[in-house]
Amino acid sequence: MEILDKLINVALIAATLRTTAPILLVALGGSFTTKAGIFNIGLEGQMLAGAFFAVIGSIWTGSAFAGVACGVAAALAFALAFAVLVVTFRANEVVVGLALNILAGGMTISLMKAIFGTRGSIVGHGIVGLPKVQIPGAQALLGSWAPLISGFTPIVYVAFIAVPLLVLFYNRTRLGLYIRVVGEKPEAAEALGISITRVRYTASLLCGLLAGLAGAHLSLGYITMFTENMSSGRGFMAVAILIFSNGDPLKVLAGCLLFGFADAFSLRLQTFGFPSYLVLTVPYVVALTALFALSYRARPKIIKETLASMQKLLSVDRNSAPVDKNP
Amino acid sequence: MMSDRLRAFSGQIIAVGVALLLGAIIILLVGESPVHVLMTLLRGAFGDQEKIAGTLLQTTPILICGVAACIGLRGGMFNVGIEGQLFLGGFAAAWVGFSFSLPAGIHMLAALALAVVAGAAWVAIPAFFRARYNTNEVVSTILSNYIAVLLTSYFTIFLFKRPGGWSETPPILATAYLPEIFSFSRLNWGLFIGLALAIGVALVFRYTSWGYGVTIVGSAPKFAEYGGVNVKRQGFVVLLLSGAVGGLAGGVETLGVHHRFMEGFAPGFGFDGLIAALLANGSPVATIVTALFFGALRSGSLLLEVDTSASREIITVIQALIILSVSAQVLIKRRGDSQAGERRWKF
Repeated sequence: MEILDKLINVALIAATLRTTAPILLVALGGSFTTKAGIFNIGLEGQMLAGAFFAVIGSIWTGSAFAGVACGVAAALAFALAFAVLVVTFRANEVVVGLALNILAGGMTISLMKAIFGTRGSIVGHGIVGLPKVQIPGAQALLGSWAPLISGFTPIVYVAFIAVPLLVLFYNRTRLGLYIRVVGEKPEAAEALGISITRVRYTASLLCGLLAGLAGAHLSLGYITMFTENMSSGRGFMAVAILIFSNGDPLKVLAGCLLFGFADAFSLRLQTFGFPSYLVLTVPYVVALTALFALSYRARPKIIKETLASMQKLLSVDRNSAPVDKNP
Repeated sequence: MMSDRLRAFSGQIIAVGVALLLGAIIILLVGESPVHVLMTLLRGAFGDQEKIAGTLLQTTPILICGVAACIGLRGGMFNVGIEGQLFLGGFAAAWVGFSFSLPAGIHMLAALALAVVAGAAWVAIPAFFRARYNTNEVVSTILSNYIAVLLTSYFTIFLFKRPGGWSETPPILATAYLPEIFSFSRLNWGLFIGLALAIGVALVFRYTSWGYGVTIVGSAPKFAEYGGVNVKRQGFVVLLLSGAVGGLAGGVETLGVHHRFMEGFAPGFGFDGLIAALLANGSPVATIVTALFFGALRSGSLLLEVDTSASREIITVIQALIILSVSAQVLIKRRGDSQAGERRWKF
């Protein structure tokens, strides 16, 4: 019981919120492209570019917020490249996304070597981290629970406030509606005179904006350093979340809290002497399990019923059911 | 027909040219001369017979991983998990190599066989869910890469560490070695395995009805369905085979080059293989050429790191640029189509 108390307490919940923030931001960014009907596997690279250039900007200007702006600008550049290739050039989304991820990985390491002459990581060099926001009165109001709402970096607050804003955006604004129409029924959007190209570009750039913030949080938030491939698969976990949430902001939040918890919990386990290699697999195992479990649940029932009746009619081989791309 | 192929081929060449041009600009940006970098790369890849053997040594795992990716791509499956299959296959081969003593030859074959099984087993779960419930295999195989790398590190460091060694298993017995070709290089029979595999897989695709079925499923699943192909089972088998070849790549790397498994033993070969296969448009024979190209880049980059201030990851940038510009070629064919038209990828 005492061990449980040590494992699960206010600090763990606060840590969960901290670790949730970057994956939540990048997943919310991906929700724009998901809703617009683009499969965006390039989130990982956008996030990594954001993290690297946030550090560069922070060193060069001496201001954390200018650093964040630099990170966002870099992520936007990647998002723009993605949109140009996928929307205008109509290249394969998976190929472009993977290639941009590889580009981000190689580019950050090459630039690190060129600028700092080091490999591995950038530490020191006058990186300015983001300040922590102390909410006045939190201590008096909540006592020992105060760390749950106070003392985070601004980006954490942005991440959680973005959830309700996105719900409103998709349901109450013209652009939100356009994005959904373009994703769900592009033919209808075209018939209505909506420019699919423009909407998909907008969605992709909005995605880059949030992915850049997520990256900046990684390198300027709670640790102020950049390491090779420091996004370590969070972008891919975000894509897994997007698949089973279909980009709905509230479901995205639920999925991200699960991963944030897995992340924070596995860090805890490490301090209890579990082999770090096994503990580090926990978030990935959780992501995979959730992906498999939810895709099992979400298998298209209606299509199955239609199939069953068709199969009866045609008495074809049971196993040779047509593959439908929409689960 | 031929002119189509010729146009596709010249398209790839132009795309590679554009990418190299962009790469040259980036090299200028990191403060190096593109000509110097190119000459260093060439010298590092083909400077003397040892360098050439070194290039072929780097080509081998890229080629085998490339064939693994080709099998997937032909069947319409993105196996992005080759990296993980490579690691598990590499570990499995090492395990057979150091824990059993068998007659020479048989020992090697047993180690390779277990590597193949490990690769296939590792992809089996994503493949099952892809086939049965249409779970996006790109994401599931990418995520399983991270687990595979951590898991093999765990095996190596916590369960099978060489006494006194640092993050590596005990060496495998000499009976499990893949024979070396020359005395001056670690280049080994793995290269022949890769070449035979590429040609064999190409022949299967070209001359067997099964291979034809896979190609049809990859390019037109609905048509294949009506033609009586069991699309789901075939998707499962294709991913399994792709994973098996990925595992073989790891086994070859262990038995031919390192003679033990160590943490981070073959970084990036799985992704290089996928890129080589994409550049080759899913053709195993063309993958021989693209794998050699990437092998030369990798081998040359080792000298680059020594002789210039540029990082060897600059070649990763060039590879990514090549794939991006190849993927953009579609513009020439498709301009003016409706944006609402068919999306080639959806989850």
